[in-house]
Amino acid sequence: MPALAPNRFVDPAVLAEISNLDLIARTVVDGFVAGLHRSPDFGFSQEFAEYRAYTPGDDLRHVDWNVFARTEKAYLKRFRGETNAQIIFLLDASASMNFASGPVSKFTYAKYLASALIYLAHLQRDATGFVSFHDEVDAFVPPSTRQGQLMRLLHAVDGAETGERTDFARPFVHLQNLRRRRGLTILISDFLAPVDKVVSAAEPLRFNGEEVILFHVLDREELRPGLNDPVLLLDMETNEALEVSPDYARTEYPAKIAQHLDELRTESQKAGLDYFLLRTDQPLDAGLREYLTVRQRRI
Amino acid sequence: MGFFSPWFLAGIVAVGLPLWLHLLRQFQRTPRPFSSLMFFERRVQSSTRHLRLRYLVLLALRLALLALLALAFANPFVNQSANSVQRRALTVIALDRSFSMRFGQRMAEAKAQGRRVLNSLTGQTRVQVVAFDSHLDVLTQPQSKGAAAVQSAIDSLQPGDDVSSFGELSRGLRVIADTSNMHLDAHVITDAQKSSMPASFADLDVGPHISLAIEPIGSTAANWALEGVNIPSHVYDSANVRVTAVIAGWNTAQVTRKAVLELDGRTIVSKDVTITAGGRAQVEFDGLSIPHGPHRGHVSLEPHDELPQDDAFAFSIERSDPRCVLFLHAGGRANEAFYYKSALEASSTTGLTVQPLPLEQINGQDLNKFAFVVLNNPGTLDDGAANRIRDYITKGGAALIAVGPNTIREHVVPIAGNSVSAVAQRQGADSSGSGAPVLATPGQFANVEFLQTARLTARPGEPVLARFADGSPLLLEKRVGEGRILIFASTLDNSTNDFPLHASFLPFVAQTAAYLAATQSDPSSVVVGTPVELRKTNTQNTAADVIGPDGRHLLSLSDASRAMSYNVEREGFYDVQRAGRQRVLIAVHADRRESDLTQVPVDTLKIWRNTGDSSADPVPGTKQQIVPRSLWRYFLTLAFLAALVESVFGMRYLARERQTR
Repeated sequence: MPALAPNRFVDPAVLAEISNLDLIARTVVDGFVAGLHRSPDFGFSQEFAEYRAYTPGDDLRHVDWNVFARTEKAYLKRFRGETNAQIIFLLDASASMNFASGPVSKFTYAKYLASALIYLAHLQRDATGFVSFHDEVDAFVPPSTRQGQLMRLLHAVDGAETGERTDFARPFVHLQNLRRRRGLTILISDFLAPVDKVVSAAEPLRFNGEEVILFHVLDREELRPGLNDPVLLLDMETNEALEVSPDYARTEYPAKIAQHLDELRTESQKAGLDYFLLRTDQPLDAGLREYLTVRQRRI
Repeated sequence: MGFFSPWFLAGIVAVGLPLWLHLLRQFQRTPRPFSSLMFFERRVQSSTRHLRLRYLVLLALRLALLALLALAFANPFVNQSANSVQRRALTVIALDRSFSMRFGQRMAEAKAQGRRVLNSLTGQTRVQVVAFDSHLDVLTQPQSKGAAAVQSAIDSLQPGDDVSSFGELSRGLRVIADTSNMHLDAHVITDAQKSSMPASFADLDVGPHISLAIEPIGSTAANWALEGVNIPSHVYDSANVRVTAVIAGWNTAQVTRKAVLELDGRTIVSKDVTITAGGRAQVEFDGLSIPHGPHRGHVSLEPHDELPQDDAFAFSIERSDPRCVLFLHAGGRANEAFYYKSALEASSTTGLTVQPLPLEQINGQDLNKFAFVVLNNPGTLDDGAANRIRDYITKGGAALIAVGPNTIREHVVPIAGNSVSAVAQRQGADSSGSGAPVLATPGQFANVEFLQTARLTARPGEPVLARFADGSPLLLEKRVGEGRILIFASTLDNSTNDFPLHASFLPFVAQTAAYLAATQSDPSSVVVGTPVELRKTNTQNTAADVIGPDGRHLLSLSDASRAMSYNVEREGFYDVQRAGRQRVLIAVHADRRESDLTQVPVDTLKIWRNTGDSSADPVPGTKQQIVPRSLWRYFLTLAFLAALVESVFGMRYLARERQTR
């Protein structure tokens, strides 16, 4: 029996056949991690970082009892992954995220990605939170490392539903009010909005020392629409209808979307934001790699 | 423009269906959701006009398809001049070869006229020569005017003995025009006899594709002819023969001519007869002594006129001994034959005598020497007698079976096998005649009362020639092998009916006897074109033979064994050997309508000519012939094309619809 490629476990078309988001996250991350262990580029394990003196309220399970036996002092063993990262996932739940030309919509893909990253963060014992938003905040799970946080997060991701329009300012304002300490903010969206609005909404976090990753999720059809005939298109957010010719879709539209992507990438870099473009027919491991790269830099 | 079937135009209402589909169900394109239109511009909206236009083309094709189908079924036509139909030209030279063309030099004149017509044609003209009398014969195929066959067809033409028919000529020309799909320039060279005109002038119509040029030969001429001779074809007593001849004159002055009776080439007697101007005269020859055997006779006029062939009238006559009919009755009841014997022997034309014989004595008789056998009131026949009679009938004999009380007791008619039962009631016969030739005299059974009758059962294929008042068969015909049986559902004496006491009993006996003895069919002379019967059924394998006036055998080997009849085509004597029967001599004469040489008026000929394409020489005041030209084929072709294009458009349209969804 031939060995399955690691990508086999992160292919979104395959994941679409699995209904359990928890299982999806585990499948993606376990497959991805198995691949990383064979890679010299990424060391992914519970690497020891430091000992910290026990203070009341700490979880006794993390006490290093060997040290206590030798020194009769209680120390907590801390690993690299659980240093002090606080990660917030922002999921764009606007109506445009429902677009799909294949089996997986942008919103579903974004959910897979968020779930996988949340599970990965859980493995690394990061305090993880989740916000879904459209023109207002729809769901919010504050970051924590408490028992059951993973399931709360996954339930929140699973229960997220799309609204209508996108307003990037509201979740970021909500986040700034919420943040107690610096961390990593991951925004998953299709960014179908003016670039300056997106960047201006995320830029203040960066000013506060936060790491911000922009995962830009797009459908292949959005990059190059395949129209053979004039067709009446309906904007999923505004319900505005427009008849579009195939000539325009073949020539001018790709140029415009490419210009939008370039602009978004450039402006993000200028603002110190990490930008990463994902297509819904691509495996999820590209996103996971991007996350790990940024997280290592953060630590 | 008009329509042959305008009711089909109602089908145009069906165009409402696509109109409803296309217009009432407006062009509604299902919007296709897209994430954001922020990168699209409104100026591209005009491109959908192209799609809308294609949509309207599809609608137009569907409307056209339904409208064209309705129009095709309504069968539209346009009126157009018959001349506008372009066809290749063919010159037809039609020569009259009827009996009247024997008058004087008319045949030679007709040939000369035919050659003149031929010489007047241009070198490229295609010519066909036909000859006509009562039918049209094609003498040459269409070919160039210089072909030797055309010239020789005209030169070798000889007059026949048949009657001419302009109706048949017109029909034949129409057939040539229709089958060749060519325009005919027909030159009809004829003596234009008035008697050749059909009963209905419509039969002369040659149609739009024929230009008729009628070229009359000769003129109305005086002519005398032997119109008919009345003489029996069979005699059994030579002392009684009387010959009556009728002489007619057309366009003639009063003259006195000599009528001569010849028998076998010998002049028997002659008489002077005065024929009034344009009238008729009758001459009688009494006491003609006829020797035994067949003889050829003529009655002729002297001196002859310019048509000598109709100055003589041929007849045949045969003298033979009377034939015997075997009357079988129950033993000791010879008086049963009294009425039948008296009636049959009273008729001198049948040549039959009756021999009564008890049924028990049949075994000693040779049945083949009898004309037919009569079984009166037969009961049960012994096997030997029944087989002998059945064999005799199967080989071509005949029998008359009269059903009586003895037969009814057995419930079956011997020999024939038909079931029979008694009917107690007294009744008459059905007064409506059957029209059967065996009962030529109408009202045969009027006032006849049948006291005790038999109810016969007719089997399929057995014609009932007469019926009782209650509808059951009175006289039934049945074929057995090559012979035939007549079953009479009563007796031939006065024991169960009073028929023998009526005057109609005599013709009944004579006619049924002539029918069974087969002596009734041959007249002394028949007209040219008459079919002569050669065999009764196609199962008769015995060979027939016909020897013509020139002494030649006229039947091929296959015709000799299969042909049912032969049409006599020339005047003279035909020696005919029918299958399984005696040789007979048949005299044939030309139809005497040909003797009337009165010509058709010129105006009538003009009208006839104008029934065809008269564009070359139109007669003032006549209308040009208009021919409706049907257009349904064109509309159906257009409908087919519309359906084809609609299918292509529809498929492409649907494919795009699916893609865009």
